[in-house]
Amino acid sequence: MVDLLLNFAQVSGVYAFMHSAWGWPIIESLHFTGMCLLIGSVGVFDLRLLGMARRVPLQALHQLIPFGIAGFSLNMLSGTMFLVSAPDQYLFNPAFQTKMLMIILAGMNMLLFYRTAMGAVRTVPADALPAPRARLMGGTSLACWSMVIICGRLITYYRPPYHWCFWC
Amino acid sequence: MMYLLARLEETLISEWIRETGWVFFGSLIFHSLALALVVGMSLAVLWREVGFAASIPAGRFGEFIPLSKLGLMVVLLSGLLLLIAYPAKALSNPVFYLKLTAILAALVITWRIVANNRLTDPVSGKPGARRRLAWLGLCLWLTSVAAGRFLAYTHNVLLASSFY
Repeated sequence: MVDLLLNFAQVSGVYAFMHSAWGWPIIESLHFTGMCLLIGSVGVFDLRLLGMARRVPLQALHQLIPFGIAGFSLNMLSGTMFLVSAPDQYLFNPAFQTKMLMIILAGMNMLLFYRTAMGAVRTVPADALPAPRARLMGGTSLACWSMVIICGRLITYYRPPYHWCFWC
Repeated sequence: MMYLLARLEETLISEWIRETGWVFFGSLIFHSLALALVVGMSLAVLWREVGFAASIPAGRFGEFIPLSKLGLMVVLLSGLLLLIAYPAKALSNPVFYLKLTAILAALVITWRIVANNRLTDPVSGKPGARRRLAWLGLCLWLTSVAAGRFLAYTHNVLLASSFY
């Protein structure tokens, strides 16, 4: 797996760019920008679901979600560039593994939200709270994305292969 | 100046932050969470101001002020701890001052827009000038985020032996 990713990085030129003088900080800057876009849209929407800023209509706030999608896409791309450029620092890292798990959980929660709760949320007027189910999903989303940020920062704390991981 | 910074780096609190893993990483984590919240909410305000998500009543963003103030306090406190841990590394780097200037200017612009919209809801004023100010705010927030990341790669001075 490590060799496969490294090979991809080298063939595609990503490895050379990331290990150039400014490659890593440029991509880190984009990764943090994506994080802010995500929290500034999905996170703000989640906070409103939980009851904050009730005078802001949920339907209107939902218009910010495309910025969250853009932020997430930016982070998938920049995150992949980190991963393929130093796969051994990520694949065997419990913080990275937990981060991926949290992203999957956030994604599943989002799918469930759009399938079961969004219809009713659209009709929630300003000054009103959505149904408990929607609030629970908003809280889950916020918790998952917070954990994603926490684990992202902890990736530098765990230096594989000295720590536990699923398959080492 | 460097002597002073070196003395600061030898203080007990600086050593404690730097060499106690949970304090240093706790500060980093709180800094990241709070910056995502503060910058994220500011970006939302500014996107609205430049014309996206037009059905959001712009004046209502003021309801997020208490949370952004809390986020800002966490950013400042955690940032201060990180600065005390490695004062020479940050204070000898021009990028650090670029970051601070960008944050300060972005905050003033965002605060001004939010306050103005609250007072004149529905929003009034010249749309062109308001939009230009909001675009400037967006650029400044992105500059501050990028400067924060470049800080870790552009330092010339590193006195402390323990380094993350």
